[in-house]
Amino acid sequence: MDVDQNHIVPPRLGTYLLKWIYGSELYEEIAGDMLEIYEDRVLAHGRVYASTHYVIDAMLSVRNYDLRKNNNTTQNNSIAMLKNYFKITLRTISKNKVYSALNIMGLALGVAAFIFILQYVTYENSYDKFHSNHEDIYRVRYKVYRGEELNIDCAAAVPRVGPFMKEKMPEVIEFARAFPISGVMSTNNIQFREDRLHVADPAFLRIFDYPLIQGDINTCLSEPNKVVVTEEIALKYFGTTDVVGESITFDSWLRLPLQISGVTVNVPNNSHFKYDFLISYETLNNHTRDDETGNVASEEAWGWYDFNTYVLLQEGTDPKAFDDKFNQYLVEERGEDFEEYNFRSEFPLQALTDIHLYSNLLQESEPEEQGDGQAVFFLTIIAFFILVIAWINYINLSTARSVERAKEVGVRKTMGAFKKQLIYQFLSEAILLNFFALIVGLLIVFFGINYFNQLTGSQLSLSFLISGQFWLTAGGVFLVGACLSGLYPALILSSFRPSDVLKGKFSGNKSGNMLRKVLVVFQFAASVALITGTIIVYQQLAHMRNADLGFDMTDTLVIKGPAVFGEDSLFVTTMKTFKSEVLSNPEIAGITTSSNVPGDEIFWTNGIRRNEETPDRNKTIYIVGIDYNYFQTYDIELLAGRNYNETFSTDTGSMILNAAAIKYLGYESPEAAINQKIMFWGYPKTIVGVVDDYQQMSVKTAVSPIIFPLSLNENSFITLHLNTGDYQQAFDAAQQQFDRFFPGNPFDYFFLDDFFNRQYENDREFSRVFTLFAGFAIIVACLGLFGLSSFSALQRTKEIGIRKAIGADISNIIVILTREFVQLIILAIILAFPIIYIVMDGWLDNFATRIELGAPVFLLAGVLVILIAIITVGYKTLVTAKSDPVKALRYE
Amino acid sequence: MKGTYLGEFEELVLLTVASLGKEAYAVSVKAEVENTASRKVNISAIHSALYRLEDKGFLSSEFGNPTQKRGGKPKRFFKVTSAGFAALQQAKDLKEQLWRNIPQLTFQSV
Repeated sequence: MDVDQNHIVPPRLGTYLLKWIYGSELYEEIAGDMLEIYEDRVLAHGRVYASTHYVIDAMLSVRNYDLRKNNNTTQNNSIAMLKNYFKITLRTISKNKVYSALNIMGLALGVAAFIFILQYVTYENSYDKFHSNHEDIYRVRYKVYRGEELNIDCAAAVPRVGPFMKEKMPEVIEFARAFPISGVMSTNNIQFREDRLHVADPAFLRIFDYPLIQGDINTCLSEPNKVVVTEEIALKYFGTTDVVGESITFDSWLRLPLQISGVTVNVPNNSHFKYDFLISYETLNNHTRDDETGNVASEEAWGWYDFNTYVLLQEGTDPKAFDDKFNQYLVEERGEDFEEYNFRSEFPLQALTDIHLYSNLLQESEPEEQGDGQAVFFLTIIAFFILVIAWINYINLSTARSVERAKEVGVRKTMGAFKKQLIYQFLSEAILLNFFALIVGLLIVFFGINYFNQLTGSQLSLSFLISGQFWLTAGGVFLVGACLSGLYPALILSSFRPSDVLKGKFSGNKSGNMLRKVLVVFQFAASVALITGTIIVYQQLAHMRNADLGFDMTDTLVIKGPAVFGEDSLFVTTMKTFKSEVLSNPEIAGITTSSNVPGDEIFWTNGIRRNEETPDRNKTIYIVGIDYNYFQTYDIELLAGRNYNETFSTDTGSMILNAAAIKYLGYESPEAAINQKIMFWGYPKTIVGVVDDYQQMSVKTAVSPIIFPLSLNENSFITLHLNTGDYQQAFDAAQQQFDRFFPGNPFDYFFLDDFFNRQYENDREFSRVFTLFAGFAIIVACLGLFGLSSFSALQRTKEIGIRKAIGADISNIIVILTREFVQLIILAIILAFPIIYIVMDGWLDNFATRIELGAPVFLLAGVLVILIAIITVGYKTLVTAKSDPVKALRYE
Repeated sequence: MKGTYLGEFEELVLLTVASLGKEAYAVSVKAEVENTASRKVNISAIHSALYRLEDKGFLSSEFGNPTQKRGGKPKRFFKVTSAGFAALQQAKDLKEQLWRNIPQLTFQSV
């Protein structure tokens, strides 16, 4: 290798260090020596080795910091003093091991909690920021009003709006639509059900940063029947990423032979939009084109809202002004329809970076993953609370110990120390202690991160340890904390008057006592708030999970329906035979097919009105296609009328609705609605039955109006209700029959209760995080309380000795020693309750079904905290109370 | 007397400087120590020893002519002073004395 001697420069960091360590007298020659060694090492071992060792050598040179600087006496003196301060600090730490440990542990826990939360919050806030255009990408929402009522508020828009927006609005650089679809992918006898498929516009990969590792970004999505896959999928199906040109077949409600035209990197975890396959948009257009009129529904429809639409705007466009302007064009284009059907639609923009945390619309791309901005905000506050509690601990413990340090201060002052120097001393002590705490805190994070991830379902890694920003924040927080917590004790301690303390008159000061009390009250108010909050969160979750859902989800197995089926006309008969075969197994109590199961968001909607009403009264209703046994299998109660009946050949004109839909259409009661006519799918239908409301989605949402048309060719879900006997046998039998009747389809199944309860996963994670940090806070606060109470007991040793000598018994003493703290904590509780009531009441309002906040919760939390406090205070108190009065009084 | 006391490492460095003659500067001393004593030393330790020895008057130094290598920065060449040699001699004598004492210890005690 040809190394040009003049151009190799050692790392600057090292050079700076050298300059800083050695004065101007020595720097030149020593830098020369270092450079020579560096050059030799580059030749012998390469640059990396040489640079690393250069920096190490420079760092080791710190030992020579005082070389040839002897003439500079003042600097030396202050360094000597610093040395002395550190020595004294270390001695104080080792002299009072218990209190130092309490102090450091409290601070370390605070630091650890802060780092955890900081990382969690940073991660939640990092969603979609990896797109280089993230500030100018918006999602187009879809809102429909009927009259003044907001009827639909959806994350997916209609296919026409993207192109229309681009035509009318010059600010739009590009738009891309993504239409979610799921089905079975097969190639070379490998087949899997895939859920993360989207039909996407060619601009999709240009707007977003999902880099292609194979294929051409400009053409890979422009032709029909092309598909772009992720690296992971390429490996899963083909074992290599070199798959451009390979064929793969997709089966769902449409059958698509596809050719792979590109491979992208895997979608990052912090992307709100996740895909495994992107199918070219033209493919869908070919299937929605009406042969007679030439109309393409997936380009022109204004009512089909399944298309996530994203626009890239010119830099600095104001989304608000954009919305207003676009609305005018929209009314121009669609005004007549709005009038005729009595509705109004809007397509407001939503910033890409707001989607993960601040969006909770219908048809979110990844509804289970949606974050909660409010929760993140809460956590940030909790993080600061914990840190502040830890600092307060430090202040409390150091001022409480002022009695012990008073003599030292007196001696130092007599020897000629200035007040300023004493402040420096106690500040440097605070810094050193905080530094130890930082290290212990980092260790806790280092060893606890896996546990934390497990508990909270997050995916934090330790990679933040090498990020400069993290160290900047950590360093900033550390310095602020050290100074804030160190300054007050430093001022107090340094202000002692030597004549008083050395005479032994000194015994703590009044204002310090007051401050300590205020701080303890604050600490415990924060802890009480967190504990009460945790209990309320738990109660709400339990309430939701135990709520009556209106259907039976126990012992229910759901199989995803067959997507691959040869002859469509045979499907209904085959399915019928399959059902009767499965039912012949005694372990299986019921079977039904439907377009949705509870817990699965309904995307299927249409307009509905009472037959006697005019078209402008049309309302949107959700549709679940079912067979004869749906209500029976799910144990959903029929309120009026009858179920669909297999023996009636005329049931195609009949409809069953839920109670919410009956109310929605304005009927007085379920009974009154029976045999009434409704206009649906363009024909008058008769209501033959009304079923009780059940929770299609979690109890967080209200029940939607649903119509249940009889639809025997539904192939989305097959639900089996199992007898509680032999699960395995029932499962095997179902699988065997499924494979027999629907060969070529993967047997994908889930248990309904797991599936349904996954909707609460986010809340559960939130409650775990909340509990964890509430625990942190109370532990830290207790550490402080323990330290304080022990000191107070120690200070009152003599008093207690006298009391005992006069005849007080142990219980009296305990009451005297505990009373003060219990009073403070009761005060804290009284202060915390109104605040927590307001905050938690607001949080509970997010849920459609919520608990009411009553006295028991607060009573429980209050008693719990008082108990914890008494136990904390109790140990040292008991020891003091039991101690021999003779020993206490003999001293001095 | 503190001024004449030689640490083990200082003695090693002092001897190395003496053995290198006119070519003794930090980098060459480091290389020589590593070669003959076969132990790894850090350059900062060499610097520390050299300058402290000079402060004690055991070494004297002068700058060499700047060269193309090492970025044109000057080299400081060290030379052992007579006080340095005396100190080395003293250290050597002391050790020899002690060595001589070892076998005689048992006979001459009391």
